[in-house]
Amino acid sequence: MDNVQVEQKSYEMPPREGFTVAHFLTVADVDRSARFYETIFGGRILTRGNSSGAPAFIQIANTWLILYFGGGPTPDKPLVTLSVPADPDKVSSFMNIRVADIRACYEVWRSRGATFITEPMEKVGETCCYLRDPDGYLIEVGQSKPGFTYG
Amino acid sequence: MNNVQVEQKSYEMPPREGITIAHFLTVADIERSLRFYETVFGSRILSSGDEKGAPGYIQIANTWLIVNVGGGPTPDKPAVTLSVPPDPNKVSSFMNIRVADIQACYDLWRSRGAEFITEPKDKYGETRCYIRDPDGYIIEVGQSKPNFTYG
Repeated sequence: MDNVQVEQKSYEMPPREGFTVAHFLTVADVDRSARFYETIFGGRILTRGNSSGAPAFIQIANTWLILYFGGGPTPDKPLVTLSVPADPDKVSSFMNIRVADIRACYEVWRSRGATFITEPMEKVGETCCYLRDPDGYLIEVGQSKPGFTYG
Repeated sequence: MNNVQVEQKSYEMPPREGITIAHFLTVADIERSLRFYETVFGSRILSSGDEKGAPGYIQIANTWLIVNVGGGPTPDKPAVTLSVPPDPNKVSSFMNIRVADIQACYDLWRSRGAEFITEPKDKYGETRCYIRDPDGYIIEVGQSKPNFTYG
């Protein structure tokens, strides 16, 4: 089954009604990225894509990752170029994984090969750490503290 | 939450078990971004953040957006700087909204103030168009064609 449930409502990919939100990543090597998200987070590879332009789809928790190579402008975005992160230390948006037990996630994901920037650190409202995916994308892992619902 | 599922998993924010995935956006103006995502997509603002650093939270379909202002390195990511997109035409990752009826979404979201780069255009396997959010982030809107499950 290709669906997830959020607050009593079920979402599927592709949606038969309404819409479903996914996260697109430009990657250098689709197979390498698909393997990474499968191995570390237990994501489920739905398709590896193909050379005719179909991207890879991975279901991971409540969302889907869509992975494909970069490329020049297309008629529907005539000024936009897609590329892997040019400077992984200059970041605007990123995947943010909220977890119930950050210490457990840190240990399990590290044992599966994830490279964390630091150990989990205490901040106002949350405990937080970051890892990098194979293209250098930043991934936040955070656990809200009790009393900070949206820490 | 008071529900039971068989062969279906439910996700909540923050998670009481496992993980729930959100999408973080660095924004110039939290209030403006919250209003945009609420108005255009009918999402639900869960928290408007505060001046002590708590981000805004928005539930949108199967996922959550976390929006906050940019900033310099923090102890848990000592080399990373967060900023709004310096060049909105150089893109690596973006929110990808898969829809059941792209013409209906295009018309509705445009009537609510969304600025699309072009009308929906036919591509291999899908029909597609793009929106810019208030900080210049591109948002893909795509509908897979019949027989292209993951177009």
